[in-house]
Amino acid sequence: MRKKSLLTGAALAACLATSGVPALAGKSDDTLTVAFAKQLENLDAYSATAREMIVIARHVWDGLLYRDPATGEYLGNLAESFEWVDATTIDFVLREGVTFHNGEAFDADDAVYTLNWVSKPENGVSNQGNVNWIASAEKTGPYSLRLHLKEPFPAALEYLSGPVVMYPNEYHAEVGTAGMGSNPVGTGPYKVTSVEAGKRYVFEKNDGYFAGPKGTAEIGKIVWRTIPERNTQFAELLSGGVDWVWQVPPDQAEKLGKKFSVSNESTMRIGYVSFDSAGRTGETPMSDIRVRKAIAHAINREAIVNALLKGASKVVHSACFPSQFGCFQDVAKYDYDPARAKELLAEAGYPDGFTVPFFAYRDRGYAEAIIGDLAAVGISVDFGYLKYAALRDKVQGGEVPFQFMTWGSNSVNDVSAITSHFFSHGKDDYALDADVKTWLTTADTSIDPAVRKENYAKALSKIADEVYWLPLFSYNVNYVYSDELEFTPYPDEVPRFFQARWK
Amino acid sequence: MLIYSLKRLLLAILVAITVSFISFSLLFLAGDPAIAMAGEGATDQDIENIRQLYGFDKPVLVQYFDWLLRAIGGNLGESFYFKTPVVHLIAEHMPVTMTLGAMGITFALSLAVPLGVLAAIRPNSIIDRIALLISVSGQALPSFWFALVLVVIFTVTLGWLPASGSDTWLHFLMPTVVLSYYAAPAFMRLTRAGMLDVLGSDYIRTARAKGLTTKSVFLKHALRNAIIPVVSLAAVQFGFMLGGSVIVESIFALNGAGSLAWESIGRNDFPTVQGLILVFALIYIVLTFLADVLNAWLDPKIRIG
Amino acid sequence: MTDVTHSIEEEDFGPSPREILKKSILAHRSLLLGFGAIVIIVLAALLAPVLAPHDPYLQDLSIRFTPPVWQDGGSWEHILGTDHLGRDYLSRLLYGARISLTIGIGAVLISGTIGTTLGVCAGYFGGRVDMVVNYLITVRLSMPVVLVALAIVAIFGGSLNIVIMVLGFLLWDRFAVVMRSSTMQVRNMDYVQSAQAVGCSTLRIVLTEIMPNIMNNLIVVATLEMAHAILLEAGLSFLGLGVQPPLPSWGLMVAEGKEMLFFEPWLIMIPGAALFILILSINLMGDGVRDVTAPAGKN
Repeated sequence: MRKKSLLTGAALAACLATSGVPALAGKSDDTLTVAFAKQLENLDAYSATAREMIVIARHVWDGLLYRDPATGEYLGNLAESFEWVDATTIDFVLREGVTFHNGEAFDADDAVYTLNWVSKPENGVSNQGNVNWIASAEKTGPYSLRLHLKEPFPAALEYLSGPVVMYPNEYHAEVGTAGMGSNPVGTGPYKVTSVEAGKRYVFEKNDGYFAGPKGTAEIGKIVWRTIPERNTQFAELLSGGVDWVWQVPPDQAEKLGKKFSVSNESTMRIGYVSFDSAGRTGETPMSDIRVRKAIAHAINREAIVNALLKGASKVVHSACFPSQFGCFQDVAKYDYDPARAKELLAEAGYPDGFTVPFFAYRDRGYAEAIIGDLAAVGISVDFGYLKYAALRDKVQGGEVPFQFMTWGSNSVNDVSAITSHFFSHGKDDYALDADVKTWLTTADTSIDPAVRKENYAKALSKIADEVYWLPLFSYNVNYVYSDELEFTPYPDEVPRFFQARWK
Repeated sequence: MLIYSLKRLLLAILVAITVSFISFSLLFLAGDPAIAMAGEGATDQDIENIRQLYGFDKPVLVQYFDWLLRAIGGNLGESFYFKTPVVHLIAEHMPVTMTLGAMGITFALSLAVPLGVLAAIRPNSIIDRIALLISVSGQALPSFWFALVLVVIFTVTLGWLPASGSDTWLHFLMPTVVLSYYAAPAFMRLTRAGMLDVLGSDYIRTARAKGLTTKSVFLKHALRNAIIPVVSLAAVQFGFMLGGSVIVESIFALNGAGSLAWESIGRNDFPTVQGLILVFALIYIVLTFLADVLNAWLDPKIRIG
Repeated sequence: MTDVTHSIEEEDFGPSPREILKKSILAHRSLLLGFGAIVIIVLAALLAPVLAPHDPYLQDLSIRFTPPVWQDGGSWEHILGTDHLGRDYLSRLLYGARISLTIGIGAVLISGTIGTTLGVCAGYFGGRVDMVVNYLITVRLSMPVVLVALAIVAIFGGSLNIVIMVLGFLLWDRFAVVMRSSTMQVRNMDYVQSAQAVGCSTLRIVLTEIMPNIMNNLIVVATLEMAHAILLEAGLSFLGLGVQPPLPSWGLMVAEGKEMLFFEPWLIMIPGAALFILILSINLMGDGVRDVTAPAGKN
């Protein structure tokens, strides 16, 4: 039965396929065509977790607040103003006269409905970290509401201006998550006019958009295409089929720079090497600090950054991204010194080196460069390159003595989003240092910035002294786009097409 | 005939069950699906919740029988990634792959059969040699390499064809050529060999002796007999093509079942991968079953032996 | 080869069959061409440590993407240029021949053993055994090879051993099919029947009477499947799941070169051409062996 319908479908598809070269996009027809590699599960802002969804969410919906990417200041967006009543209560006054794309008016009912709906775990918001700090919301007037937090949570403003977007209550109650995923409705600068899953989404400028802090969009139409293969993206770019691509590796970006505009911007993601210092995988050379120091001296991070990552990337020494709150920088540093590395290995009893398993899940070229540096001091590796899900499973199961990993901190500008995640004796912790855990816990739960900084500094210093991690470098992103386009990237890795202009 | 068909059907069903078990157990090794579903920033509690919600804490065999029973009822479970029924996903992605496979087979046959016939009519002639050259070199070209070279030529340099998408028949042109060139040599060899056999057989000589024109001998008798094995090979190749379209679909951004399978492997979305392997296998099993029965019907020797 | 001539010698009573075979081999140009190319590639692989001008693993990030000597900026120091980590491309190509050949031969040893055992058993015993083998072949054929290989490699990681085993365990079907039908033909020959009548053990009959007579088909299938395995590995590498670096398999080199396809096309053309020549030669040799050893009457 199913087979029959599949065949019918095939015949139908064949019939529908008509001839004709697709129109080239661009300035002339006010259509910006952008290409992304990843296919989204759907277009519901609360069930898709990929970065691409964060990007779409910024265009289709609004949060109560908006963080100005230039100044870092929190501005009112769907809220006109807000006020902390106490450490767990915020009052909001909402903007009037805003309507959703389907004509439904935005008021306190929509905001209260959304906040209460997402706060309940049974409603299945995929990224619970975005919403699990919300206790409840109550309507205090047609355009005002009060939000209750479960506990003091300074980052609430960050979430309210990012992932926590406002849904239309009547529409959402009617169509649910599935309906929102296939036919999204928001208040944002762009409305979704066509959804072909895995192929393309079409966004059109929301002409009735309120004059909020995001500004008004200029480009009339955005066609968002899914093209998994990078070379195909380039082919489309070179032949005029798309106008904008991102995450272009530095070598290709350099070459494309001759014909296109290229912008480079740092991201919050850092790469690091982590060692099984605690011996979770059994007896390995990695539990010897001299071996870890030797490896720290053996890897030429400077050269890797200069030759391979390029752009805004920097070598990092502390186990966090430098801009994050509490990311203490004055820690032990290990310079590239292969001779010293060999001495340390000899002291540790490995004058002829050793062989150890080594794993990675992305940036094979960087991993290869690390392997090459290690080989130069006599350490050879059994390299395993796995898909993220498979590697993370192995890591958490305590099977990985030595790995090249990366962490993006979910773009949260605070050390608690990275160091505390990895060194508080969770499944990812291969150091299991009691002191470090104590300091991190103290820092995470304190509201006094001075106390937090002091304790994070202690933890980060010890991590560096003991070489539990060897932080490598920060990442950057290259954006390559048509010369006709004016586009500004930001470090939060959220392209804002609503600010893009034709030249 | 009926007994042969029934026997053959029994085999097909047995194979289908075996394949279902293999695909199930294979992907059960694919690491903890709960972690894959939870994503990078997930907490242990998130992962544990997912594990219980989807029943990953049950024994493997229990999960298999649950899955098989549901599969027989047409329910292949729900995709971890899309949170929609796998059957819908497959139905959504299959038309592109089917179109591609059908075009690939058509193209391969329309290239290979005439070449094979010509090669057989004049063995060791120039045409025969060119046909041989095409067939040998065609099989030596890695498909992704060929695909990328086509893109460089026809999209970037000449600007004639779109590099990605599936909106018009033009989008299918390059993928079709890439997918079919690997199948074409087999058809060509088989057509050539079949033609040579038939042309040397007694009844063609008889037909010729009866004074029939060369053209009608070829078309009415020789080709018709030589083509039978080609048709059954086409059924088999069609099955292979569907399963083998992964690379082609990923290069040309055709959002078909092949690329769905590949992406799903990367996402540890194993209900989808299981479902796809099962459906690909079933299509193959059905096609070969039909081809076998057809062959038996055409050639009585088979069903006795 | 000797086995083939040996058996033919015993069989025929024509004028010096060894001479005829030799003559037909020498007259078969594509067989000689393919064989010659393979000999060169195998020699290059064996002599890689002597021939390679540099250490294939030695990286120098300051000379990344040095073009080959015939392009602007190339030098004789790196005749085929350097890759994305500044490693000498010629040296990697030479060592890569080892890896690609190892994959092909390793996979064929496994698949050949499985397929031949199953095929000969099915062909010799027939009946129930044949039915079981037939069932196994159908199961194997119905599994989409690329997908299953991808899934396994994605799960277990792509070490050289795993890739060889996966390919070996997936590509035995053609061996089984061909060996089965060849054995069936040979089984009814007089000499096999008389050996049975004399009371020779089954194993002995298979080894001394059957195998020598199906050896030519085995060689043909083995060459074709070797080419198939090498190509499949290249495909897996293309999707990022083949042999792992720093091992330089040709498939992996093509996959790494593809990153710069539009900008440094030689990076993909050089290993691509090497791969093409290798597969072409193997196929030419396989076809040639089939032509030369095929029973008379063809053409």
